[in-house]
Amino acid sequence: MPRASGKGYRQRPLRRYGFIIAVAGILALLLLQTSPRINEGVAPIRTAASDQLFHATRPSLIDQLSGASAKDRRILELEARVRELAQYKALALTMAERLEVYEEILNMQGEPGGAEVTARIMAETNGPFAEALLANAGTTNGVQDGYYAENDRGLVGRVVQVGQRSSRILKITDFNSRVPVMGEASGLRAIMFGGRDGLGRLTDFPEQGAFLPNERILTSGEGGLFPRGVVVGYVRESDNKDVRVDLAMLTGQLSYVRLKPTIRVLPPEAFPSETELAELSEDDES
Amino acid sequence: MMGLSGFADGMVLRWEAARPRTRLAIGVLLVIAVGMVGLTPRSLFGLPLAWPYLGLIAAVGWGRSGMAFGPMALLLLFGFAQDASQAPWGSHGLANLLTYGLSAAVSQMADTERSPLLSFVLPVVTLFFGITLVWLVASISSGHFGRVTPMLTAYFATLVVHMVIAPLFDLGIRRGVQGGSTA
Repeated sequence: MPRASGKGYRQRPLRRYGFIIAVAGILALLLLQTSPRINEGVAPIRTAASDQLFHATRPSLIDQLSGASAKDRRILELEARVRELAQYKALALTMAERLEVYEEILNMQGEPGGAEVTARIMAETNGPFAEALLANAGTTNGVQDGYYAENDRGLVGRVVQVGQRSSRILKITDFNSRVPVMGEASGLRAIMFGGRDGLGRLTDFPEQGAFLPNERILTSGEGGLFPRGVVVGYVRESDNKDVRVDLAMLTGQLSYVRLKPTIRVLPPEAFPSETELAELSEDDES
Repeated sequence: MMGLSGFADGMVLRWEAARPRTRLAIGVLLVIAVGMVGLTPRSLFGLPLAWPYLGLIAAVGWGRSGMAFGPMALLLLFGFAQDASQAPWGSHGLANLLTYGLSAAVSQMADTERSPLLSFVLPVVTLFFGITLVWLVASISSGHFGRVTPMLTAYFATLVVHMVIAPLFDLGIRRGVQGGSTA
């Protein structure tokens, strides 16, 4: 039951005045905000309040209960990442075009193009003898002995055996694989082979100096087994002569690999010049 | 089932025995709780939900108990909290306060307790008045007529929620009514 209050009679005019004053005050506040200068003054307060209360990514209770908020947040993060990467892609395309022009101006002999083949990995051997992959592309697909294999993260290995419809790839994790590499930042060269712990190990350092921690390791292109600049991994730890490399290819998928040709620079005697040929023919005639 | 109905009866008795300040505090907590949930993005299975203006429900309910400084101050505070979105400071406070004044005036002029029609019409009219005020202030401050559909959905949501929780905003006092014999 509602309580009766006689006190209200005495206080009613006061409350009415209070009400009228409050309404007038609020109206005055609203009118004051029509001034741009005052509006600018209260804008930081509004921004701070909005940041705290109306964060766009704050999930609703229903979303939190249904678990949709985590997915939504992840989607937003990935969308932001895609937008960021799109900028890098555009930049990379521009730079590639520019590089092509520069190489043309300099008449530079770049890395060779050629028939590239994407192959599916049919089998993988990680036995005690050799770490190798069997890909479903062979000579009929244009694959030749000496092709190198890459996945989406970096160098996987080298084709050591080619059949008609298949080829065997010796992984760079194998102890017997030898990859001429260099540090991207330090520029130091070395030979990398596979260690027992799944990491790459560097040996044969022709220069003095130390590899930098987390430095990216690329193929140096020496010897012609691999082209220059293919990502191999990152320096994990460097202890004087014992440098270990986290292999980039292990972070990517190994179901498919891209088989690419390498340049094979033959010695000059393999291609004798015209004068040499003439001299040889003269010798034969005499 | 008996236990549940017994619990409900106990709660009703406790509510009837509660002092106005306790009732006011419970109302404040309810407004804050619903308002906080309303600050988060509101959707159910991808469909946007209309959220009630609990400040207006509080204004209508508290207004029925007559004018008092406490509810007035609280309604102003609620208004400022609502303004934190993008509204000019004071716009929701003005709507809350004027709705409160209208509810108090109508309750004082007419016996809304004993007239079922009036007790039904009063919140319908006062809530519409409050929502219209919000729309008017929004239209004036933006320089063009505000969107009507969101205001209408918010109005109906407020009306429905009012039907359910209106007793929680009854302070249990009728100012101006003298105690004693009703004969």
